[in-house]
Amino acid sequence: MNVVLASSSIEGGIGCWDLQTGAEQLRYKTCASPPHGLASIGCRFLACSQLRDPSAASGHVLYWSWSKPQAQVKSFPAEPIKPLAANSEGSYIVGGGSSGDIYFWEVATGRLLKKWHAHYRAVTCLVFSDDDSLLISGSEDGCVRVWSLFMIFDEVRKQQASHLYEYSFTEHTLRVTDIVMGYGGGNAVIVSASEDRTCKVWSLSRGRLLRNVVFPSIIDAIAIDPGEHVFYAGGRDGKIYIAALNVESSPSNNYGLHIIGSLTDQSKPVTCLAYSAERNLLLSGSEDGMIRVWDVKTKKILRMFRHSKGPVNNILIVRLPYLLSRAEPKVQASSRRNDFSLHPPLEKYANSSDEDMDNKAIITLPDTIDLPSYLSSQLINDHIKQLQQQGSSAAAEMEVKRLKLVGQRSMEMFQQLKKVYDKLQEFCVNELLDGQPIEGSKGN
Amino acid sequence: MVRSKASSKKQQKKGIDFKKIKRKLGRKLPPPKNATNTEIKSKAIVLPEQSVATNKEGLAVSKKGLTLKELLQQTSHHNAKVRRDALMGIKDLVINHPAELRHHRYAVIEKLRERISDDDKVVREALYQLFKSEIFPGCAEDNQGLFISLLMNYIFNAMTNLAIDIRLMAFKFFDLVVQYYPPCFSLYAEKILQSYEDILRKNQFYLEDKGKLKTTLSGLVRCLSLLPSKKPESEKCVSGDRIIHAFEPDTPTANTGFSTIIKKLKELVLVLINCFQDFIPLLNSMPQLDVLSFDCILSMLQSIDIAVRFFIYGIHEETPESICDQTLSSALSKKLLGVFPLYPKHHLSVKEDDRYFILNVVIAAIFLHLRELVCPSTNVFEKFLEFIENALLGTICSSSRSGKATWEKHIPLLLPFIPKLASELETGWQSRILESFTRTFKDCNPESSLKLACLSMIEEMLIPRGYMHFSKASDTVVLDYQTVWIRELPLLLSLLGDKQPSSSQVVLCLLLRLGQFSGSNPFLFGEYENIQFTLSEFYSTCQEGNLYYGPFMRLPRDCQELSICCLYYFSNLNVLLLKSVTFCCLCSELEPFIFFRIIEVLHAAYKAGHIQIADHISFFMTLLSRFKILPENICPVRESDVKVSNHGTFKSLTTMLSSYLSQIGDSSVVFHIVEKAILGLILLQPPLENACAMLRVLIVLDSKPTRLSEQSIIALSNFLPGYLMDVVHCIPEDDVQTWRYYILPCFFMFDRSSKLLKLVLDVIGSFLTDSNLSLPSDTSTRYATDSLSRINATISLLLLIYKDVKVQKIISSFRTEIGSILQSIASLQSSEVKMTLEERHRFQSSVLEKTFSPCEDGGEQPRGRSSFGGNIEKIQGLANSGGNCLSQILQNCNGIFEREKGVQEFVHYITLLEHHVK
Repeated sequence: MNVVLASSSIEGGIGCWDLQTGAEQLRYKTCASPPHGLASIGCRFLACSQLRDPSAASGHVLYWSWSKPQAQVKSFPAEPIKPLAANSEGSYIVGGGSSGDIYFWEVATGRLLKKWHAHYRAVTCLVFSDDDSLLISGSEDGCVRVWSLFMIFDEVRKQQASHLYEYSFTEHTLRVTDIVMGYGGGNAVIVSASEDRTCKVWSLSRGRLLRNVVFPSIIDAIAIDPGEHVFYAGGRDGKIYIAALNVESSPSNNYGLHIIGSLTDQSKPVTCLAYSAERNLLLSGSEDGMIRVWDVKTKKILRMFRHSKGPVNNILIVRLPYLLSRAEPKVQASSRRNDFSLHPPLEKYANSSDEDMDNKAIITLPDTIDLPSYLSSQLINDHIKQLQQQGSSAAAEMEVKRLKLVGQRSMEMFQQLKKVYDKLQEFCVNELLDGQPIEGSKGN
Repeated sequence: MVRSKASSKKQQKKGIDFKKIKRKLGRKLPPPKNATNTEIKSKAIVLPEQSVATNKEGLAVSKKGLTLKELLQQTSHHNAKVRRDALMGIKDLVINHPAELRHHRYAVIEKLRERISDDDKVVREALYQLFKSEIFPGCAEDNQGLFISLLMNYIFNAMTNLAIDIRLMAFKFFDLVVQYYPPCFSLYAEKILQSYEDILRKNQFYLEDKGKLKTTLSGLVRCLSLLPSKKPESEKCVSGDRIIHAFEPDTPTANTGFSTIIKKLKELVLVLINCFQDFIPLLNSMPQLDVLSFDCILSMLQSIDIAVRFFIYGIHEETPESICDQTLSSALSKKLLGVFPLYPKHHLSVKEDDRYFILNVVIAAIFLHLRELVCPSTNVFEKFLEFIENALLGTICSSSRSGKATWEKHIPLLLPFIPKLASELETGWQSRILESFTRTFKDCNPESSLKLACLSMIEEMLIPRGYMHFSKASDTVVLDYQTVWIRELPLLLSLLGDKQPSSSQVVLCLLLRLGQFSGSNPFLFGEYENIQFTLSEFYSTCQEGNLYYGPFMRLPRDCQELSICCLYYFSNLNVLLLKSVTFCCLCSELEPFIFFRIIEVLHAAYKAGHIQIADHISFFMTLLSRFKILPENICPVRESDVKVSNHGTFKSLTTMLSSYLSQIGDSSVVFHIVEKAILGLILLQPPLENACAMLRVLIVLDSKPTRLSEQSIIALSNFLPGYLMDVVHCIPEDDVQTWRYYILPCFFMFDRSSKLLKLVLDVIGSFLTDSNLSLPSDTSTRYATDSLSRINATISLLLLIYKDVKVQKIISSFRTEIGSILQSIASLQSSEVKMTLEERHRFQSSVLEKTFSPCEDGGEQPRGRSSFGGNIEKIQGLANSGGNCLSQILQNCNGIFEREKGVQEFVHYITLLEHHVK
């Protein structure tokens, strides 16, 4: 089940709707998120950084499990955290601080694995690449930087190199508002939007600016089309502009070079965008608290969700796990709670004592089709220990995974057998029906 | 006689043998009749096999009538003069027939290349000129690689020729080739360097002919400058790509061959050093440093400089340490750096000083490159530092104008080392160097390239790339100078004015980077904040009530945008700067694009917490109330005026500000702040447009029922009637869109607060009483000042109100107020004795006009009339007496009054009218 999650900068909770049917699901309570502050951690649970009043010294990050409206885990990082991002597996969370630092936590243990000074001013958005090896960050100082996680964790190379980042793009003059990344890992293009009214397309492989698109208004949100033909840019004038990535557009255009057209309905500023590749839908959140679902082909609105009075500033499209999408039996829910509470809150400071010995990453071999996942060796050790003792959450999870696989396989088997049986029956029936006339003719 | 007879006889006798034919002078005998005509006549001799050579019609020929083929043949003639003439001929031919060269270029090259090693000097010179002026420019766009490869072998041959002149000429040729086809150096680098080395080893010749040496060396400098170097180059190719996901064409990487030539280059450097060393005694012996020897030495030094740079920063596998081994570094330090500084033996002319200065600067630059590899003794090091300090201060150079120019031209060579020196030296020298650098920065001409070089160095020292150059706040010396530089920047902007936008752009870029960076450094943070005071002059200044616009207004758009972006990064934008920016906004010459950018950026800054909320709101209010609308009166809003008028801008400003204000935060709180501000401003009677904009902002923030306080309702009720009447007075009736724009905000307010409507109606009623009308100086309205127009306006206003369905509903509960207004209009007419006849006529006809038009779309007219009942007779009577016009008035009014059920008043009104008409 694909659900749409949306949060707002004023207290309104996190709204949750089924994208297909439009039915509202559970609303997760007490959440006031900054832009780019909402993240789903490997589809297992939700994390959201919280807006705090400027005087607060520490940040605030909350976790929700899918099944409960109340926040389950609260963490208080050392400084206000605005953007949050998690890798696709959900093993790490990255947060951008208001001083320009980036924090890198391990979800399973809550340990702060790394913290580094990334920008001169507050970090505004964070994006992981497809293969989780690159992290792209945008900042209030207009800088977009590309970090390789290999570099971040490689102490030797770090000392040799003059800078940590792979690239530092400084062409934006004002705050970077959004970054999206295309497909292709290290060869992808990234698109960044800024308050200087431009969106810029960068090449990750060549490390340079490919295209500069000037819009008629400030762009706060961008979404890229899966074919990378165009990208959508939501402006403060309430329009969603469509800008060309691949085709050439004529310069004599209504809006400007490279801008092909626009989706318009609302006069209120567009604050966030999300693209659902499955059904080619574009979701836009707006200042008036509405979430509009657009069909990009017809440029028509298919559906609207009402979140709250205040501005929506985050939209996520998450594929909920199968089990969660239906009402769970009580027993399962309780077990889930147990297992969920095992995610400890994020640590405030890096623990230097165990850093030196156990900070190696272990790559688990890809067992089936999954991408390799990187886990710190300490975590793996813990898992092994728990596995030996039997009955830990991770072990249970593994067991569940295995059982699920078995279940799936038996289902397949069952289907197959059923098919065979059906065919057999059909065959028999046919045979019987066919047999009679023959006999009849014989009788004649 | 006898004699004559005899002679005649003789003659006669003779005549027998030789018959004397008597001829008459001047006359020819006619030819005999049987004579054969032996004359041969022909028009031309046609010889087919020779025609190619001689018949040149339609062929390209030179002045001397020779074709290209002939000329090419002649280039290998044994006579030097013929060869030269042939070359001249080719040149001549090519100039007149450029196509000829294009078609036969390979043939031409193949023939001409043989002449590169021609024995005769004149021929070579002619060939050189031919290549330089015609062939290379003519073949520029062709496949040059092939073209060049045809030539190169011959050039190399010539380079190894025994005759020194031919060799020198070959270098000259090569120089030419490199100019037109730079990649050729990388293809033949090793061979070329070898040749240069060989020729420079022959030290006897250069002492003799410096002119030739000079050309050779300048060629060498050109070649070496093609060596790849990874010094940061400014790569500016933005948005050049048409398609993003496209393959890049494979460009040949020219750098591959360069690793192999390091050894050769090293040898060459050693030779150059020797060469230089040979020159030194010569210098000392000479009375004066002449131009030629100066140029030679300079070229040598430049070549060494480039080679050294390549060793250190170039793209190759070897480390700088391995290249600069014992032999090279000792040679360099002993023979080159040892003689530093060069100074004139006999102090003769100012010019000579400058020349020595230039040489010393180059040597210093070489030294600074090599500093880490050579490890000089402190003595030597200090000698150089002293030179750098003096050079920066400009004390070495002559103070003449040419001296100043040389100084400005050559000092940038030393500047790139300043950041590194400043970060590494101990405090004493550090402050001396920084002091002299700062002096240079301050003293040089703001528009010069030296200033730009200084700025880029300042950027490097202020904003570290990757590394932290300076140990942080502890370094007070550096901090002092940083302060000086930063404070200098806004002043520099004012100095530059709009004379050189490119320089202003560089300064603004630096300011922007500084702003972006300042967040992480508390010291810079403070300094950047302080800039605001001086920066406000860049926008505008207000002195003794007069407004002076700064350079901001006159700079091109991209500079303006940059400077606006700088505003965002002040963490606490002070009021002074905000004020000066506001003045710029209010200037009518500002482009709308920039105007909206300013508002947008300032709002973003507010959102980031960089502007106080009070300042921000008052900024908005100032814009709303003081924005000057052109043309001033609202009436003629015609299509043709769109260009000059800025109504459109102001309208979008209004929508923009109201949406920004509603985003600021909790709307009721914002409303209360804005309400106070707007009411204060509105009572000052701003122009209609501004008032309308403020009302619009107010209603966007307001809700139903209204949040307006009691006081403000009263204040508004005093303001609105005048406003409404002015609007009605100024806007023509048929311009529905415009009056809707102006009146709708009031209707919204009436809708939200019926109390306001009642008060407004009361005030309108009181306008029409005698006492108020007689006061001509009543200031509640701006335009509708005389009583006549006021009455007109009132009537049209009431009609407008009735046309709006929503307000009509509300107004139905205020019958008494409406009644009293009508009453007063009526009584006004009856008691108006001062009105002349003419005025009265005007009044009536205008009433007619006003009331006539709106009823055309009213569908209820028949119903009204029918319900009029008993009064119909009276109307008819009136119609009879007053003519058609009045009856129409009555018909029109009918609708209103019927709805009001105010028949009595109406009748009364009619009677009065009737009375007047009579």
